[in-house]
Amino acid sequence: MRATFTRYLSRHPGAVIGLVLLALQIIAILFAPWLTSYSPVEADPLASLEPPSLAHWFGTDVSGMDIYARVIYATRINLLISLTAVAVAFVIGVPVGLLIGFYRGWLSSLVMRMFDFIQSFPIFVLGMALVSVMGQEIWNVSIVLAVLFIPMFARVIRAEVLSLRERPFVAAARCSGATDFSIMFRHILPNALTPAIVQISISVGLAILLTAGLSFVGAGVRMPTPEWGLMVSSGAQQMILGVWWVSLFPGLAIVIAVLSFALIGDMAKDLSDPTMRDRR
Amino acid sequence: MRAPDAAPLLAVDHLSVDFGEGAPKALSGVSFELRRDEVLGIVGETGAGKSVLARSLLDLLPEGGRIVEGDIRLDGASVLGLNEAEQGKLRGARIALIGTNAKALLDPVATVGAQIARVLRAHRACGRREAWAAAVDLLAQVGIVNPERRAKAYPHELSGGMAQRVVIAMAMVANPDIVLADDATLGLDATIQVQVLDLLVKRCRELGAGVVLITHDLGIIAHYCDRVAIMKGGRIVELGEVGRFLQGPRDDYSRTLLDAARVRPTPMAGQGEGAAQGMAEATHAKPLLDVRRLEKFFPIAGSTEVVRAIDDVSFSVGRGETLALVGESGSGKTTVGQCLVRLLECDGGGITFDGVDITDMPAKEFRPLRRRLQMVFQEPYVALNPRWPVRALIAEPLRLDPGLNARGRERRVRQLLDLVHLPLSLADAYPHELTAGEQKRIGIARALATGPDFVVFDEPTTALDIRVRAQIIDLVRDLQAEIGMSALFITHDLNSVRSLAHNVAVMRHGKIVEFGETETIFAHPTQDYTRMLLSAELPIEQGLLQRDRAEARRLAGTA
Repeated sequence: MRATFTRYLSRHPGAVIGLVLLALQIIAILFAPWLTSYSPVEADPLASLEPPSLAHWFGTDVSGMDIYARVIYATRINLLISLTAVAVAFVIGVPVGLLIGFYRGWLSSLVMRMFDFIQSFPIFVLGMALVSVMGQEIWNVSIVLAVLFIPMFARVIRAEVLSLRERPFVAAARCSGATDFSIMFRHILPNALTPAIVQISISVGLAILLTAGLSFVGAGVRMPTPEWGLMVSSGAQQMILGVWWVSLFPGLAIVIAVLSFALIGDMAKDLSDPTMRDRR
Repeated sequence: MRAPDAAPLLAVDHLSVDFGEGAPKALSGVSFELRRDEVLGIVGETGAGKSVLARSLLDLLPEGGRIVEGDIRLDGASVLGLNEAEQGKLRGARIALIGTNAKALLDPVATVGAQIARVLRAHRACGRREAWAAAVDLLAQVGIVNPERRAKAYPHELSGGMAQRVVIAMAMVANPDIVLADDATLGLDATIQVQVLDLLVKRCRELGAGVVLITHDLGIIAHYCDRVAIMKGGRIVELGEVGRFLQGPRDDYSRTLLDAARVRPTPMAGQGEGAAQGMAEATHAKPLLDVRRLEKFFPIAGSTEVVRAIDDVSFSVGRGETLALVGESGSGKTTVGQCLVRLLECDGGGITFDGVDITDMPAKEFRPLRRRLQMVFQEPYVALNPRWPVRALIAEPLRLDPGLNARGRERRVRQLLDLVHLPLSLADAYPHELTAGEQKRIGIARALATGPDFVVFDEPTTALDIRVRAQIIDLVRDLQAEIGMSALFITHDLNSVRSLAHNVAVMRHGKIVEFGETETIFAHPTQDYTRMLLSAELPIEQGLLQRDRAEARRLAGTA
């Protein structure tokens, strides 16, 4: 197994880049206090909108907070929100998709219509409604995102299951005495998982962007909590004045995070498929 | 008309191909010539390099493949030095390739008429309407009924045989000098295969083209080819006149191939008068499986009509008996098999297994019976879960046996691998790492795992290499002798039936049209349909006879 992994990495530089970028984020999460001497939330009105310098590597924002420190600390918040949301959506969405794909009755149709409802609902309205009911906490942002992502996972799994359940190996398994449970979870699920794994990486990226959007409309994280999306939007106003650094660095952080999960998603897809493992 | 001693149409001279430095050669030192008006057969098992050869003739080698040595000459002029544009002109115009699985070769979003017209216009300047008319004309020439309507059909609306005719029509567009047919009839019904090959060879003879027929079926060689090349491991081990080859191959390997293809079923053990009587008595006493007036309908989309896939079918199989269900694709034979193992619910009639009516038995009650009633699936690869290693695949049905723990299952897996003559080292392999023959054996091992009393074999020998086919037949026959199980053989390969089955039921359009003892049916078929199925087989010996007659005809023609 280890040999397979090393050989895979030697042939797929993209996967190596993905892992390195992920490692950078983990370092930022674990060692944030050691990586910067500034506090991410402490404003210094005298040092407002300073361009990048030796003192402030990424410059400062309008209230004089150090952008480098905020970008580093925001990794915690952003990955926490995104990963929880995606994990919850995966854990709920995948079995639901499996069930509604395998058993097709009125209940399955009902669930699908419910998904239509959720997905056709404007996410920001949904977000604001939930946040106003439950309070403005980062956990609530995770829940909003999870609710939005569950139909996505359920749908990709269901689409796979619909074609997989007609495949001869499922009939063969039934002849070998496999129960519905065994056919669903041991036969169909491993074959249906690949698009869901790709969906994970897409969703993590999307989650980061949506978190930013929710913060922007005031339904998400609030200032001064360091969060990449919030930082990008707060810098957007000064962008036309030539103040590029406020938005650029958190924007780059978003790119790195999204890219690393996309690359790792590709790797997970290849490694989870025995017919792909040995190929180039 | 042509000078007989001009340079050969196609000359391949010491051709070697490899895939990367140091990799074993896919072709090494292959030499042969093809003359006008000649049909050259190339035979070999999977991996012998037949397709690589065909592709290197067109310079369409898969990525990484390159010609390292040798030359290919058309009418004496080398084609290897040509640039991309000149080669493009060569393909289609002078050399045409007809591949396996015609449907995959056709563009799914264009009508077949439009596709042929497209090829026509690529080869000569003509108007849209003119090209369409020519396409319809070509379809008519390849024996497609109602060509105007068929020209407007999309590939998915055609049957396999029809699609193959379309591909042939397309290949003939530019009157090519050389036609390469790479397993062009693989997977078609025997009756359709004969029609398609007849058509192909006839059209080529009319055009005076040289044909290279690549196949693994020596019956095809015996019937259609003038000369034959036997390939093994990227080399031609024997090359010569078909007649001489069939009478006595010089090479050891070609001899094994020919012997394997000739496996003429030793009559079933004790299938004499007495045994048949004994069998009949046993059947009368209490059949293991009894099917009465079985019916299965499928709805047609957008219509109130139904397809009568199984229409009033009755038969019974005694203990230790093997019944063959023979028919073309679409005759409903596979549907019968699926009803027996309850993959499909039947719409009428009844199935009794060992005295128990299983027709409407709830799935939960039927599950323990699956141990005794098993099925080997048609396409070995798609019937195995691609994510499961062999060990888990074979162990799966063993879960039906509650008395077996993990260690017991592991032991049984080893026994089963041994039983189907597979090495233990394959236990951790995944299906895609196995050859078709190995996959088939895994399928058989799965079906036999629980020691069933009755096994449905769905097309156990289709699309397998000659030697593998013979091995699988031997294997099944030995197993039956050892275990004494009953079996239903679903097949269109009459040769394999003859070596295995006690009785034969011929199915057509969902009905059994003829039923009887195997040898009786082979000797005295009463139905025209059965006779047609029998005549579609291409036994090698008969090929020799036909060959003499054809030769005589040809000589008469030239004189």
